[in-house]
Amino acid sequence: MRRDAWIARLTPHRAALASLFLLVFPLFMPFKAIAVNILIQGLFALGFNLLYGYLGLLSFGHAALLGGGAYACGIVIVRFGMPWWIGIASGTLAGMLVAAAIGALAIRTRGIYFAMVTLALAQCLYFVAYQAVDWTGGENGLRGVNVAGISLLGVHLDIVRPLVRYYFVAAFVIAALFVLSRILASPFGAAMEAIRENETRARACGYDIAASRWLAFVLSGGFCGLAGALQAIHLGIVPVETLYYTTSGLAVMMTLLGGMGTFFGPFIGAGVFLLLEEVVSLWTVHWQLLVGAVFVACVLFFPRGLWGTLLAGHAR
Amino acid sequence: MAESFTPPIRLTRRHLLGASLTGIVLSRPAIPRAQESPIRIGFPVPLTGPYATEAQDQVRCAQLAVDEFNASGGLNGRRAELLARDDKLNPGEAATRTLELIEKDKVDFIVGSLSASVQLAVNNVARQRNVIYNSISQSDQIDALPDWSRTTFHEAMTPHMTAGAVGRYAFGKYGKRVVFLSADYAYGAEMVAGFKAAGAPLGIEVLAELKHPLGTTDFSTLMPRIAALKPDILCLCNFGRDQQIAVKQATDFGLKRTTRIVIPVILYTARLAAGPQAYEGVVGGTSYYWGIESSVPSAKAFNDRYRHAYDGKVPSDYGALGYAGVRAVLAGAARAGTTATDKVVAALEGMKYDFYKGAETYRACDHQAVQSLFIVESKSKDMSGPADVFSVLATDPANEASLLSCSAEGHAS
Repeated sequence: MRRDAWIARLTPHRAALASLFLLVFPLFMPFKAIAVNILIQGLFALGFNLLYGYLGLLSFGHAALLGGGAYACGIVIVRFGMPWWIGIASGTLAGMLVAAAIGALAIRTRGIYFAMVTLALAQCLYFVAYQAVDWTGGENGLRGVNVAGISLLGVHLDIVRPLVRYYFVAAFVIAALFVLSRILASPFGAAMEAIRENETRARACGYDIAASRWLAFVLSGGFCGLAGALQAIHLGIVPVETLYYTTSGLAVMMTLLGGMGTFFGPFIGAGVFLLLEEVVSLWTVHWQLLVGAVFVACVLFFPRGLWGTLLAGHAR
Repeated sequence: MAESFTPPIRLTRRHLLGASLTGIVLSRPAIPRAQESPIRIGFPVPLTGPYATEAQDQVRCAQLAVDEFNASGGLNGRRAELLARDDKLNPGEAATRTLELIEKDKVDFIVGSLSASVQLAVNNVARQRNVIYNSISQSDQIDALPDWSRTTFHEAMTPHMTAGAVGRYAFGKYGKRVVFLSADYAYGAEMVAGFKAAGAPLGIEVLAELKHPLGTTDFSTLMPRIAALKPDILCLCNFGRDQQIAVKQATDFGLKRTTRIVIPVILYTARLAAGPQAYEGVVGGTSYYWGIESSVPSAKAFNDRYRHAYDGKVPSDYGALGYAGVRAVLAGAARAGTTATDKVVAALEGMKYDFYKGAETYRACDHQAVQSLFIVESKSKDMSGPADVFSVLATDPANEASLLSCSAEGHAS
């Protein structure tokens, strides 16, 4: 009961609390590049969670949203020589556009069919990127997304320096956290959860199910597209693997690991997954075996995910 | 019940925390790096995945180069240290590992990678941070603008060199009627282009250019088509398992009776895995084969050191590149007398060396290693042991004319 009261009291401040955590987070990390990866993958999983955790739609095509954002950002910077902020804006927009297109085609299907349609459409995009060598670099990936210096209000930021790069990315992730918190607290957020809990009843209440789903997909695309754009700038490359279906699988895995339908769960999932991979792969080449075992254990013993279980407490 | 187990666990965790905190505290202050700090070489290679066998041999060979350098006294007493990391054959992962190596481990040089896309990713990260990167896998792009930079070196061969040398040999010897069967991705396309460039002056006739998707397991629809064309040469521009299956099915379809199968890069490890029958009579190119030791003294010395260190085994072709790549940057540092990037780049440019396969040099314009290449044929009989898999047919000598010209790569000179 006391725990529930605390959670209820803290929920309105969830975005601020999460942001505080992200600000001190890199101090505990073995190296900054992995901290940035956790931020970006966490944001990606967060976008996925908006659709899966809050609306109950399992998409297997989120790689298209991340990759669409990454390529859009990379292409405007590399091929058109645009400044970094146009890259990030284009990436976010591209994520939403790809989501709008995939959503329009897939939104009327549900369950496993939705997963299959999104997977198929995302794979189409993968092969388009694979073949469009002049734009995307094809199999070799897009190289040279090199943003060295950023001038902001007269202050010069050198994002080649690891910590500066972390806080640069963190600024966008924190902004995204506040936007997500606002969406969830809005009537639309309540409508999403209503649809997840009981679609028939939500329809009877007068909600337009298809439009709500489509809008949620587009918003999800915005978060994932932003994550993709940040990844392109962080790594300086866009590998074609970003669009591959395994990337979609990663989003599902991280979200489940952290806790679907929780605000901060995706970040916990991303953090645990990437750190585990990092630590284990340093001392054995069979790291996948151990990471897989941990994932199985989590699904068996923490079906709400690590963060979800922590929030729910032992009572349930 | 769980309570009774907690004390020892807590104790260890505390120790660990304490140790790591001490470590952080000690590493934090900006102590100027002492002269005695080791020369660190980051070595991202795919230790897991389909090329794990090759990558692990690369690490063994690279370690050999480091041990040799240390045994000879290092750089004024500074020892070298190899930091091998798993890039999982994934460019994104490789970029992260390279960032880790540069930002956390403060490596002086990066050597490694085993795929075109991965090396371009590593190169992009390293060049932005002014760290020398010596690539040890094939790519044409890495030598060319815009990917190339002053800190980029390429110890491995390029598809242009490989296909060119193999093409010049095969087209002159086995005939001019050629069918290409290539995997539908960058590697396949680059190899086909290399073969055509070599074949054009010889007047080859391309009967068909067939492509198959990566990961094809059944070539039975293609083989009768190829057989009907009766080519003199079938060029297989694919890699790994695709290649093994294609060679095996070509054998099963009896293609070898009329046609010579030619492969741009024939891997020692792949041939060992597939066995002698499948590869019988197949001709290909390689950057290194241990058997050249009978005529190349540096190869003999290298093989002997490898045998001594690793139970009498012999190094593989891609493994040897790991050795040469690491030894080259260490030699550059020794020549420059420092690990400072600019000075080592200057020392490596035009450096002449003979580490393991005869004379090599880094061409000034693109830092490509000008090197010899060996045309080998796979053996199925008269083998003196399990490692005796190829007979060397010819040596394509180190020659700058075999490379793409500097201007074709976009360089000024």
